[in-house]
Amino acid sequence: MGFEQILFYFFAGVLLFAATMVITIRNPVKSALFLVLAFFNAAALWILLEAEFLAIVLVLVYVGAVMVLFLFVVMMLDINLVKLREGFGEYLPYGGLVAVLLVIELVVVLNSPQFGLGEMPDPVGQAADYSNTRELGRLLYTTYVYPFEIAALLLLVAIIAAITLTMRKRKDTRYQNPAQQMSVQAKDRLRVVKMPAERKG
Amino acid sequence: MVALNDYLILGAILFALSVMGIVLNRKNVVILLMSIELMLLAVNMNFVAFSHYLGDTAGQVFVFFILTVAAAEASIGLAILIVLFRNRQTINVEDLDSLKG
Amino acid sequence: MLENYLPILIFIIVGVLVGVIPQVLGWFIAPQRPDSEKLSPFECGFEAFEDSRMKFDVRYYLVAILFIIFDLEIAFLFPWAVVLREIGMFGFVAMMLFLGILVIGFIYEWKKGALEWE
Repeated sequence: MGFEQILFYFFAGVLLFAATMVITIRNPVKSALFLVLAFFNAAALWILLEAEFLAIVLVLVYVGAVMVLFLFVVMMLDINLVKLREGFGEYLPYGGLVAVLLVIELVVVLNSPQFGLGEMPDPVGQAADYSNTRELGRLLYTTYVYPFEIAALLLLVAIIAAITLTMRKRKDTRYQNPAQQMSVQAKDRLRVVKMPAERKG
Repeated sequence: MVALNDYLILGAILFALSVMGIVLNRKNVVILLMSIELMLLAVNMNFVAFSHYLGDTAGQVFVFFILTVAAAEASIGLAILIVLFRNRQTINVEDLDSLKG
Repeated sequence: MLENYLPILIFIIVGVLVGVIPQVLGWFIAPQRPDSEKLSPFECGFEAFEDSRMKFDVRYYLVAILFIIFDLEIAFLFPWAVVLREIGMFGFVAMMLFLGILVIGFIYEWKKGALEWE
């Protein structure tokens, strides 16, 4: 067993363990943290597959941002966890059956000689100066430029949807307008009054 | 060397686990969304594995787009979840039956 | 190419060990005589006022979402910057269109006041 194989089985094992914990653990905060672990191990596996740019994006966007969002939401809502866990064991046999069947079917299909996936030749490792980012960029901004623009529209939709759904103006809050404060002049606030001097005593 | 089949089977197991997660946690919308994220990760794993073994970078471009879509989906899904909680004080899927005919 | 990542792997392993070993050592070496007073939550000498898992404000969520969107935008910028010399004017215009669409969203959130904390 080569070093790469040991790494693959280690990362895959941790990934599957973390995924199992995500769906079975009681506390949603811990569930989100195990999802972080799962994503991190997936990123390590992608580096084994020489997709280094995507691995970094996975860590940057998912571990860094999406999971923070999940944690925020879990902490924003105080939920009755006991009630949400009702019927957990009740559906375990069905869920387990579906999952096991799914895996068995897929393994049978993948190992069938029709596809010949087993005889897939091992790709040659890339040279040390290979830049995955460059390869990706070369395709993304030429052949796939149209989907790329659609991605921009999708992000625009996400921005607008998130703002319109969650923004709520509070009418009773008072706040200051710094621009107005800065542009104020002495004559707006201060009135100089001429008065005759009064003699003391 | 690790075979392509190993990665594909890993993706299959991951996908099956997240299907199981959807069945088990069918009341908690937060965990449902997390299960969907795991499903997308399983699909992405297949894409990256094929892209590596076939020597075709197009698979990785698709993974990039899937990541974009998944992030947008998660943010809108969670926004809906927050509005839901604000209006109904619950995220239990069973209580969301006001559209029942 | 993977050989380049060996130092990172070693770094991660060493980092995890540095984090884990002191805790394991502490678990085995330190005397453990817990009682209910020692294990109770401690808040600067007071009794704890409330649950430590307090509710967050929704406004954090809005900031986090906008962060994700612009994070993805940056992720798209990296490969573009690397290959800009090869894809030339076409790639430049494509990215400017992409950025322009997202700037519309940015103007929208600015005007809508989503960035103000009130």
